[in-house]
Amino acid sequence: MPAAHYLILSFILFLIGTAGVLLRRNALIVLMGIELQINGGNLALLAFARQLNDQKGHVFAFLIIALAAAEAAVGLAILVGLFRSRQTINLDEATLMKR
Amino acid sequence: MNFNLGLIPLLPFLGATVLMLFGRKWARDTVFVIAALAIGAACMVSMYAFFAALPDAGPGGLQDIVTTWIATGDLHIDLAFRMDALSGVMCLVITFIGFLIHVFSAGYMADEPDYARFFAYLNLFCGAMLVLVLGDNLPVLFIGWEGVGLCSYLLIGFWYSTTANADAGKKAFITNRIGDLGFLIGMFLLFYYTGSLSVPDITTAASPGGPLMHTLWLGQPVAFWVAVFLFIGATGKSAQIPLYVWLPDAMAGPTPVSALIHAATMVTAGVYMIARMHAVYVLVPSAMAIVAVIGAATALFAAVIGFAQNDFKKVLAYSTVSQLGFMFAGVGTANFDGGVFHLVTHAFFKAGLFLCAGSVMHAMSGSGDIRIMGGLRKRLPWTHGVFFVCWLAICGIPVFSGFFSKDSIIAGAFATDIFKEADLAWVGKLVGVMLMLAALGTAFYMSRLYFLVFSGDETRADEKTKHHIHESPAIMVVPLVVLAAGATLIGFIGLPGDLVHHPEYNLLAHELEPVLGHELEVPHNIEAIFMVVSTLVAGLGIALAMVFYRGGYKEPARAFAAKFPGFVRLVQDKFRIDEVYDLVLIRPIRAFSRGLFAFVDRIIIDKILVEGTGVIVDVFSRLARTVQGGDGQRYMAVFAVGVALLVHFASQPTLPFTKLKVTQTGRAVEIDARRGTRAPTRALEYAFDFGDGRPVVKGASPEQRHDYDRPGSYTIHVTISDPRWGTEDGFKEKVEVR
Amino acid sequence: MNPANAATAAAGYSAPLGQQVLFYVLAAWVAGFALFTITRRNPVTAVMSLVATFFGLAGIYASLDAHFLAVLQVLVYAGAIMVLFIFVVMILNREEVAPLALRPMRLLGVAAAIYLLAVFANVVGVGAPTLDAPPVVADTYGTVESIGGLLFREFLYPFEAISLLLLVAIVGGIVVSRSHQKEVAATRAADYRKKVEQLAASDYPRTQGDEPAAAGGHH
Repeated sequence: MPAAHYLILSFILFLIGTAGVLLRRNALIVLMGIELQINGGNLALLAFARQLNDQKGHVFAFLIIALAAAEAAVGLAILVGLFRSRQTINLDEATLMKR
Repeated sequence: MNFNLGLIPLLPFLGATVLMLFGRKWARDTVFVIAALAIGAACMVSMYAFFAALPDAGPGGLQDIVTTWIATGDLHIDLAFRMDALSGVMCLVITFIGFLIHVFSAGYMADEPDYARFFAYLNLFCGAMLVLVLGDNLPVLFIGWEGVGLCSYLLIGFWYSTTANADAGKKAFITNRIGDLGFLIGMFLLFYYTGSLSVPDITTAASPGGPLMHTLWLGQPVAFWVAVFLFIGATGKSAQIPLYVWLPDAMAGPTPVSALIHAATMVTAGVYMIARMHAVYVLVPSAMAIVAVIGAATALFAAVIGFAQNDFKKVLAYSTVSQLGFMFAGVGTANFDGGVFHLVTHAFFKAGLFLCAGSVMHAMSGSGDIRIMGGLRKRLPWTHGVFFVCWLAICGIPVFSGFFSKDSIIAGAFATDIFKEADLAWVGKLVGVMLMLAALGTAFYMSRLYFLVFSGDETRADEKTKHHIHESPAIMVVPLVVLAAGATLIGFIGLPGDLVHHPEYNLLAHELEPVLGHELEVPHNIEAIFMVVSTLVAGLGIALAMVFYRGGYKEPARAFAAKFPGFVRLVQDKFRIDEVYDLVLIRPIRAFSRGLFAFVDRIIIDKILVEGTGVIVDVFSRLARTVQGGDGQRYMAVFAVGVALLVHFASQPTLPFTKLKVTQTGRAVEIDARRGTRAPTRALEYAFDFGDGRPVVKGASPEQRHDYDRPGSYTIHVTISDPRWGTEDGFKEKVEVR
Repeated sequence: MNPANAATAAAGYSAPLGQQVLFYVLAAWVAGFALFTITRRNPVTAVMSLVATFFGLAGIYASLDAHFLAVLQVLVYAGAIMVLFIFVVMILNREEVAPLALRPMRLLGVAAAIYLLAVFANVVGVGAPTLDAPPVVADTYGTVESIGGLLFREFLYPFEAISLLLLVAIVGGIVVSRSHQKEVAATRAADYRKKVEQLAASDYPRTQGDEPAAAGGHH
């Protein structure tokens, strides 16, 4: 398949992830939206790698997966910490920085 | 001719520096030796310069240009010194009398804890005064002018822990400063109209048709205003009406200071300055009239105040003001030689008088109240002798120096013809009469002082003080004697030689001729008459004083005081001038500055500017804070919107509101579809439809030319598209073809 | 889309039917489950559908000849990361009243993103490399061996760096999320002990009958 199709799919994934990040109150779902965004990027990378017959894209994607793992771990740890002190994971109530 | 004149002020400056840095740690003898050596060496160099080098020098005298000080644009000022006859005479007086006073102070200030500081300041003063007289241009002179003002402040307030002394120092400095403003304005005018501040240049420019005679204000030429403003500076420095009020208060300083600064040297700076600038003054007789009249008025006014003063030094202070008035009257009547002559003689006898005061106060355990003195003739023989001589000199008794100099001035006032041109011949006569009266007053109050202090058999003080009375040690007596000798003999340098048809007998006038011009011509008869008259006047004054005060307060004195108590008190209170100044000047200024403080400082600066800035920052930051809500998802949303806007506008081929440029020449039309005048930065496609049925011209070039076949009105459509982004823009333009 | 672009697109390459069907099925699977994820109220359901999304994604990677990464996607993403998510969901299981926050600014952001999708599609639909036929790739393309060779030769430094990053993430995760209760208790105990010692050492006024020795001997 021409790369264009995969690219559009990756953007759609990214879009869905953005919608999840912007429109949900539950911090867990927000984090999942972020994962979706990352995977969208990954897909774009792999599509180009295929189209250009270059495996460097695969290496890049590999590193991104590792990075996403680390990020998910830390993000969830923070979420747990937030829950422990506020007893809520509702982001609308995380307003300490608000005036 | 070049001579190392810079050495003369340098030596005392070095002495002052060394003493200020290290003096406190050294023994008193060391300090004294250094100070005396510095001024003594300066004296040696001055004498060598004056007697050995100056006669061989050319018409300009001895020169020394140390370095270029300011060289910018039209202004060129060197640190330059010049010794001609006038400044040479001044140098000799300053260094010699300065040296004597240094010696006297070693004895007088022997018990003073701040010994080194005193000598340091004395040296500093001498250095500054020498800079003043040796300066070849007005800025250097002004350096010295300011320097002596500073030293005066420092020395008057030497015992600064007493508030009154510090206040006296402040008063001297501030009053001086007011005069200095006048001096500065005079300098500015001179520079503006002659382009130079150096004395030779100004002297050359001061000619009847020169730049200084250009009319300035109130119909008077520049020279007039220069003369007036410079004279204002002189009234400050030399204690004339209206700025004399600091001099009596300055007696709060140590007596040697009064002797040196406020009798012999600093206060004469004004007279010296006018003599230096004589070329300018001679151009404007009206200004000279002002100088002469104020001088004479001051002489008379101060003499009257001296009638009723009870402090030894205060009497001498008013006497100084009065004698300075004489000097100004002298230079004001174009008798420059006479003014300088009186300056020299006055330096000797006034310094002598002041040092006698110091000796007497030393004997009277520090008191200067003449009401408790008397009979000191027997107990202070040397002091008495010196005072006697100086007293006769100041009264103008023949043979003593004061006679010749005072006579020269009074006769000169009557005989001068400088005012004839300006229809002011009466000024000379008026000045003469006032001076005569002042001379009478001088004789009276000085004799009063003599009789109350030295005559009689009884000292009116209490037992304890009486017991303490003793003659001063040799180190104080020797300078006294030298000064007395000077007071006696120095008059012979200015003998009115032309009376006996030997003009060259007047050594001083002869010396000063290259600088000050020909001496004032006084008809022989007037000269002779005044010699006799002034002697008689002096005798009258002494006789009157004898009647009132010989041997103490006699009956006529008491009767007068009883009959006119109010008048006596008024004179004693120096006509309450200080109080008038306070009411008219000082209180309004204080109130004004208080108001200024409350308004400008508290309200404008503190409230509006400082607090206000804070308030503005606060308001704006409150406003700015509303943008940030702390809501991360909102930030992301804004980010996305921003990116979308960016992409949208970046992808358009043309900016919004661009217009096509259409140029028509006959039937041909040229279209330029570029944005601005530069080539487009990306590859765009252009489609031109000229509206006349011909096929659309497509291409990559933004410029297209088209010739119409038929006249008419056509609508041109241009479409610009970006192939990569897939966007396009369209334009319409109507065109009329004839 | 610009008519010019449509023409070019129409003249482009068209893949064999099987491939197209596979692609569209997998695309629908992925997009569908992704939408499902973000719209669920129950976080457990959301996690599960995300796992399904990742499986679909793995399939897509495989269709791109990225075999190694497809496996990695399942093992790491679907296997490890999602398990982590599940653990956290178990700890924090709460249900929301209104899951979606439909605020105007956020909706505007989503709209902006959709617009960007349109522009992207436009651009991508026109560009030459993205519409050409994919080149023929070697048999070793995307295999473990070849990727591994890249990783351990040219990209060794990033590889080691990422392992360091993982270490940091582990430590950070533990530090951020550990319980502070034991610490608080320990601190309070230490403070109490210190205060008692101070009192014992000072001349604290005691009521009659008390003996300093008795107070000091308690601990």
